[in-house]
Amino acid sequence: MSTGTNAKTAYPQGDTVLSSRVRLARNIDGVPFPVRLNATRRAAVNRKVCETLQKAGKKMRVIDMSRLYPYEAVALAERHLISPEFTSGTEGRVLLLTEDERISIMLNEEDHIRIQAIEPGLAPEQAYRNAAAYDDALDAGLRFAFDNRLGYLNQNPRDLGTGLRVSVMMHLPALSKTGGMSKFASMIAKLGMNVRGSYGDAASVKGDIFRISNQVSMGITEAEAIANLKTLAMQIATREHTAAADFVKDIGVRDRITRAEGVLKNAMLLSTDEMMEMLSWVRLGALYGLNGADPDAISEMFVSLQPAALNVTAGAKLTSAQRDELRAEYVRRKLNADGE
Amino acid sequence: MLCQNCQRADATTHLKRIANGEYTEIHLCAECAAALGVTDVFPGFGGGFGNLPGAAFSVTDVRRAGNRALRCETCGFTFEDITRTGKPGCPDCYRVFGEKLKPSLQKIHGRSAVHTGKIPNGASEDTLREHRITELKEKLNRAIDEQNFEQAAQLRDEIRRLSAEEAQV
Ligand SMILES: [Zn+2]
Ligand SMILES: [Zn+2]
Repeated sequence: MSTGTNAKTAYPQGDTVLSSRVRLARNIDGVPFPVRLNATRRAAVNRKVCETLQKAGKKMRVIDMSRLYPYEAVALAERHLISPEFTSGTEGRVLLLTEDERISIMLNEEDHIRIQAIEPGLAPEQAYRNAAAYDDALDAGLRFAFDNRLGYLNQNPRDLGTGLRVSVMMHLPALSKTGGMSKFASMIAKLGMNVRGSYGDAASVKGDIFRISNQVSMGITEAEAIANLKTLAMQIATREHTAAADFVKDIGVRDRITRAEGVLKNAMLLSTDEMMEMLSWVRLGALYGLNGADPDAISEMFVSLQPAALNVTAGAKLTSAQRDELRAEYVRRKLNADGE
Repeated sequence: MLCQNCQRADATTHLKRIANGEYTEIHLCAECAAALGVTDVFPGFGGGFGNLPGAAFSVTDVRRAGNRALRCETCGFTFEDITRTGKPGCPDCYRVFGEKLKPSLQKIHGRSAVHTGKIPNGASEDTLREHRITELKEKLNRAIDEQNFEQAAQLRDEIRRLSAEEAQV
């Protein structure tokens, strides 16, 4: 058994798995789906959900999406707390967020209620338990649309059944850079799962970060779906370890890793794309003892130095050049401090 | 809608994502999506694309279903509204148009798939019992596949008991 490089991160399988996420789709029985609701009826859904959670003693921050600057909304999506589409058409949409941001509930997205839980590392069971606690709390006060055969009645027929999506975000530099991921994609599809880049547009995967998710929610229990995804994630992790063991021995690869570190420690301007690429190299090096960087800190930087996140940090919409400067400054400070 | 990459084929894969601090939608044909490594297992995921190939509900389903304008009382949708938008208007649509939706749902989930996961609190005794029976039937099939006949016999008895209870109600 390959133990990989776990020792270097604080999270389970944290060398390859950056985070685990579950999402539960739920709707209130007898109420049309959000796209068919006017502002007043959407507000009624929001009120009902908030009251139910309050009664259950679940304290959450209430964020009215229509009151955010667009970059603030996008920053929430960059942190994977909301879906990209939740940032557009924000009328009557509300986000509920726990203090530690591990639980977020989107109201009036495609479904009335979408409960989401994120955990660092490979911990989909824990994420599910956390989400299920909120599901139970809501279930106690609302009547969920449910059918004995079809399961939870959600807007997208693909979400019938459990309404559960489980996913993991994985950093797979060796598999990705040696072209191993494309071979994987078709195998993953055959297992009823899906793999795609987590950042960047359709044409390119940034930072060698992939999201792997289940696509089947019918005829399968929550526990089975979670176990299947976990097994697949472990298999991919093992392949990454195998690929990386040879990959990092190559002098050309070591050269890329040390050069990337040089760029990050010295650059005055850093675009998102360059940062993602260089951080991926440095994180790979860190996992195999080629530099002193902290892999978990790099995982965090992938998220916190995205464009909209920087706007939020600065409290204003910056120009792209201003962001590149701020990003470079932050990375320089962080990596030079780690190395000492 | 044409594919944004090749500008030739119909776009069937629709991606909604965040790039460079902005919300964007990207529309690709099947070929380009595969070439770019963004193929969905089910094309058109998350979209309401009633008339595109691979959409959740297709136009042929409408024709097959005929033209009786049955309406869902909760949201006012006809079956045609569902195929036009690619989405039901409310949870009750699944109940009202259940039979007509069946072929489309089977295309997505497979012929025999039924819900085996969590059940909400509000579910009736009947629902709970039926659910338990479904679960046991699956276990029974598995036991038979594994030639575990002793367990299969136990499961069959349990299913009979529950089914009898159901008949009494
Ligand atoms: Zn194309
Ligand atoms: Zn309806």
